[in-house]
Amino acid sequence: METESMDCESSTRSIPNDNETYHFSSTKKHAGAAAAVVTNIVGPTSTAAATSVYELLECPVCTFSMYPPIHQADDTTQFRDSVAEIALGQAYCHNGHTLCSTCKVRVHNRCPTCRQELGDIRCLALEKVAESLELPCKYYNLGCPEIFPYYSKLNHESLCNFRPYSCPYAGSECGVVGDIPFLVSHLRDDHKVDMHAGSTFNHRYVKSNPREVENATWMLTVFQCFGQYFCLHFEAFQLGMGPVYMAFLRFMGDEEEARSYSYSLEVGGSGRKLTWEGTPRSIRDSHRKVRDSNDGLIIQRNMALFFSSGDRKELKLRITGKIWKEQHSPDSGLCIPNLSS
Amino acid sequence: MEPRINHLQIESQVHELLDYPVCTNQITSTIYQCSNDYTGEVNNDKEKPYNCPYSGSKCTVTGDIRWLLQHLRNDHHVEMHDGRSFSHRYVHHNPKHLHHATWMLTLLDCYGRQFCLYFEAFHLKKTPMYIAYMQFMGDEEEATSFSYILEISGNGRKMTWQGVPRSIRDSHKTVRDSQDGLIITRKLAMFFSADNTNSKELKLKISGRIWREH
Repeated sequence: METESMDCESSTRSIPNDNETYHFSSTKKHAGAAAAVVTNIVGPTSTAAATSVYELLECPVCTFSMYPPIHQADDTTQFRDSVAEIALGQAYCHNGHTLCSTCKVRVHNRCPTCRQELGDIRCLALEKVAESLELPCKYYNLGCPEIFPYYSKLNHESLCNFRPYSCPYAGSECGVVGDIPFLVSHLRDDHKVDMHAGSTFNHRYVKSNPREVENATWMLTVFQCFGQYFCLHFEAFQLGMGPVYMAFLRFMGDEEEARSYSYSLEVGGSGRKLTWEGTPRSIRDSHRKVRDSNDGLIIQRNMALFFSSGDRKELKLRITGKIWKEQHSPDSGLCIPNLSS
Repeated sequence: MEPRINHLQIESQVHELLDYPVCTNQITSTIYQCSNDYTGEVNNDKEKPYNCPYSGSKCTVTGDIRWLLQHLRNDHHVEMHDGRSFSHRYVHHNPKHLHHATWMLTLLDCYGRQFCLYFEAFHLKKTPMYIAYMQFMGDEEEATSFSYILEISGNGRKMTWQGVPRSIRDSHKTVRDSQDGLIITRKLAMFFSADNTNSKELKLKISGRIWREH
């Protein structure tokens, strides 16, 4: 193992379990066969012979399996966002005891096995071993049956169809995740979103002083039809060409299933009518991404005021629309290029 | 009707058009002569002459509708199509190079009347946009008896504009600036243009029709 001397700052974070002492032997033995080791990794297991290697990669504190970069981190290492989801690696003390970097943060720079200082030591050999191991997708408990070697696993998990959905509420990013029924209740109960049953709608958006188009004023309505849920977004925001209103639909589900549906939106007045027909985007695409791709009905404020019956001072935009299910899957010419800026 | 490919060639064609001595050398004398002759002989002398609806601002020709049609065909080489419905493809290999006020004009002949179909690329507060709209070669009163639809589709999306053609008494710039037509951002136009190749070409298919309301 390569060692580097590093300065260690003492942590100023308050660490729970600070006063707890950990007693572990350097090699953990489980009762029963070596195969029992992998029961700590719940879910489908590969039949790789190196089951004892899994044992080596287990954190003695939380028994979670660890991944590269396997290094001995110190408290000055930046905590990456992903650490909440995956155990980032091992930390070592000078005696070679290991623990995952999630737990490392909590142990105040002290090895829980022997109380020596933890440093920033990387073990390439062990990283290579971890790379060749196969582990189940972390969404196994949500139904994903797949097993991957390390790097493929991370990539798969970012696209896994069983991964939970993020709350589709527009506005400040709500971090709630869950399955569709959960998110529907969440939208209704926590965000107080209007729920509608049916596949047609007729909304009037009224704003008494449309000159004040606040940045990203928006409304969200949820529609339930065809046994599915759809999010209808209506927004006022500034585009390069001035204030615009935009309406678009998102499907609460995956993109593949979203393609079975189509929707139309229509706005009109004074002998003019603008209609948009399209495929709802999946809520896997963030609300902002869909908005910025202009994939919906966009009306400049002047035109919107023109459509508003009356004196053009007030915005009274009537938008009608409907959702329907396509009889057959759209032709293969369909592709959704990446339009995020 | 066969779909046409209108090439929006960049500066070269636009400059060519602007520099083309349509309204300066070859035609000037004739126009002035004819205008002078015409004023005295026009049948509908209650009707003010119309300005040439050709979008280039340098053309100062005026006349009645019949005269302007000849002028547009012979001097500006604008194409005329028969029929109430049409389908055009606007193609450009590098739409980022389209400077503002690049436009195409096509004439449509139906109901015994003529209509101007404009397609323009322009900037709206620095955002590149495209607009398509129709104008009626006649007075506003008669213009309001017609309606028209323009439709852009592609890539599983469709946008439809239904409007009332503005009379050519309004300059094409007036209509364009009032956004009274099918107007989309270039971003959306590229979305409509996207196919399975990775080309960044603009390939907009615009179809439409005109009908008489009353």
